[in-house]
Amino acid sequence: MFGYRNLMGTTLLTAALVLACAPAQAFDESKYPDLKGQWVRARFPGVVGQPAYDPTRNQGAPQQAPLKPEFQAIWEANVKDQAAGGQGGDPTFNCLSPGMPRVMTPYGEMEIVITPETTHILIEHIHDSRRILTDGRTWPKNKDSIDPSFQGYSIGKWFDTDGDGRYDTLEAETRYFKGPRAFDATGIPLHPDNQSVIKEKIHWDKTKPDELTDEITTIDNALTRPWTVLKKYERRKVAQPDWFEEVCTEDNSHVGIAGEVYYLSADGHLMPAKKDQPPPDLRYFKQK
Amino acid sequence: MLSRGSIGAIAVMAALLTTVGGAFAFDDAQYPNLKGQWVRARPPAGVTGQGPFDPDKSWGLAQQAPLTPEYQKVFEASLADQAAGGQGGWTGGRCLAIGMPSMMTLFRPMEIIVLPEVTYIRIDHIRDSRRRIFTDGRAWPEDIRPSFDGYSIGHWLDTEHKGRFDTLEVETRSFKGPRPFEPSGMSLHEDNHTVIKERIYLDKSEPDLLHNDMTVIDHALTRPWTVAKKYRREKTEFPIWPEDMCVEGSGLVFIGNDMYFEGADGNLMPARKGQQPPDLRYFKTKK
Repeated sequence: MFGYRNLMGTTLLTAALVLACAPAQAFDESKYPDLKGQWVRARFPGVVGQPAYDPTRNQGAPQQAPLKPEFQAIWEANVKDQAAGGQGGDPTFNCLSPGMPRVMTPYGEMEIVITPETTHILIEHIHDSRRILTDGRTWPKNKDSIDPSFQGYSIGKWFDTDGDGRYDTLEAETRYFKGPRAFDATGIPLHPDNQSVIKEKIHWDKTKPDELTDEITTIDNALTRPWTVLKKYERRKVAQPDWFEEVCTEDNSHVGIAGEVYYLSADGHLMPAKKDQPPPDLRYFKQK
Repeated sequence: MLSRGSIGAIAVMAALLTTVGGAFAFDDAQYPNLKGQWVRARPPAGVTGQGPFDPDKSWGLAQQAPLTPEYQKVFEASLADQAAGGQGGWTGGRCLAIGMPSMMTLFRPMEIIVLPEVTYIRIDHIRDSRRRIFTDGRAWPEDIRPSFDGYSIGHWLDTEHKGRFDTLEVETRSFKGPRPFEPSGMSLHEDNHTVIKERIYLDKSEPDLLHNDMTVIDHALTRPWTVAKKYRREKTEFPIWPEDMCVEGSGLVFIGNDMYFEGADGNLMPARKGQQPPDLRYFKTKK
C-alpha cells in the first residue's frame, strides 16, 4: 500500500513538473512544417522565357488566361505596346509592387517565417512581402477599416491533412486590393475594380521536404472563371543563405511622366523608349 | 529508498518529459515578449521636426550631431537645398531605402519576430524592409554584400540572471549608401564603413515600452554618437499593417540629379524657382 501511495505521489509530482514546463513553452514549432531556409521558384521542363504566372506554360499567349473579351483586348494592346518599347500594363517598371497573386511567382528569394499568429512571406524583390494572419481574426465587419493594398489582406488557417499531428497545409484567402496589378510581365490584367479574391493552399509534403507547392485560385472580374495554377518552390541547400537586398529605385532607368514611359540615359538625361516618341510636355517651365 | 514502482513511474514520466521537451524545439518563454505593433514613442515636449535621429532633440541643427567639419558643411548644404525646395541629403524623397540607422527611427510601425536563429525587424516604410539580426552564433562572414540595412549579428543576454533573455545586443556592418541620419539630410560618410551597435530591451516597469540604445561609429562623426530610441506598443489585439508604396503618388520625378514636381495633369513642373526644364537632347521631335 505504501509503495502504491509512493508511486502515486511520484507520478503526481512528475505530472506537475510537466504542467509547469508546458506554459513556458508557448510556441510549439514542431507542430508546423519546417519551412526554414531560402526558397526559389522551381523550373518546369520545357518552359522558357521570363517567369510565367502559370509556371507549367510559357508566358504570354500559351498561358491561355481565361480573360473576358474586354480584358483579352487590353492584354493584346499591352503586348503590342511592349513590342513598341513601352511597358504595356506592367506597373512594376516604376517600382510599384507586382502585388498578389504575382508576388507568389516569386521573382526574388523567398523566406517563410512561421509564428502562431502570422506566417510571414518575405520576398526580396520590389515590395512583395506578405503577412498571412493566422491569429484567429475574422474578416472585418467594416471592410473600409482595411486600407486596400497591392498584397491584399490575408487570413489563413493551418491544417494537418494527413493526421500525423503536424500541420502541413496553410489555406489562405486574400482580399482588399489596390491596383494596377498584372498576372505577369506581359501585362495580363486583373480587373481595375480590384475586387479579386485569391485562395491559396500552401502545402508541404514531408516526403519531399525541400519542395513546396502553392495552389492559387484567382477569382477576378477580368476572368471568365476562377483561374487555378500550381506554383512550385525549391529550398536551396545552404546553411547560411545570402539574402540579397533589392532596392528597385536604386538603379531604375525608367521614368514615367504623364502616362508615358521614358528611359534615363547613362548621362542622366531623358531618352525616348519608343521610336519617334515625343518628349514630355514642358508647359510649366519658363524656357529661355 | 524508492520502490521499483516509483522508479518505473519516474522513468515513464521522464520519457514523457523528454518527448515533450523534444517537441518544444523553441521555448519562446526564454525571450522577452516583443509581439505586437511598435511605433515611435512620443517625443519629449518641445521636440519638433520630422523623425529626428536623436529623439530627445529637435531635428536639424538642434541635434548637435558630432559631425566632422567636412560633413557639417555637407549637412548645411543639405539644409540650404531643402530650403530652396530640394530634398538635400534625404534619400527617402527619391524612394531609396533610408537604411540603418535612420530606419530605426520608425517612420512606420515595426514588428519584431523573435526566433532562436534570427530576430526579424519588419518596417514597411518606403520599401518592405526586413532586418535580419542573426542570433545563430555565426561569425562575421568574410564576404558580405553591402546593403542599406547592413548585416546584423546579435546575442541575447540575460542581464538580470533571471533565467530569461532580456536584452538583444546587435552589431551591424557592411553598408552601402547614401544613407542619411534623418530627413534633414544629415549624412553618414560616403565610405560606408559605419559600425552600429544596439541594445534592445523592454522597459523594466513598462512592458509596452521598448528601448533601443544605439551607437553609431562613422567617419562623418568626430566620436561615436549614442542616442536612446524608444518605441511604444500599440494596444490592439489584431494590428493592421499599412503598406507604404513610396513611388505611388509621391508627386516627385527625378531625372538625373534634378528633382521636379508632377503636376495634377501629370506634366513636369519646376520644384524650385527658376529651375530649368530637363535636357531633351535625345529627342528628335518637339512636343
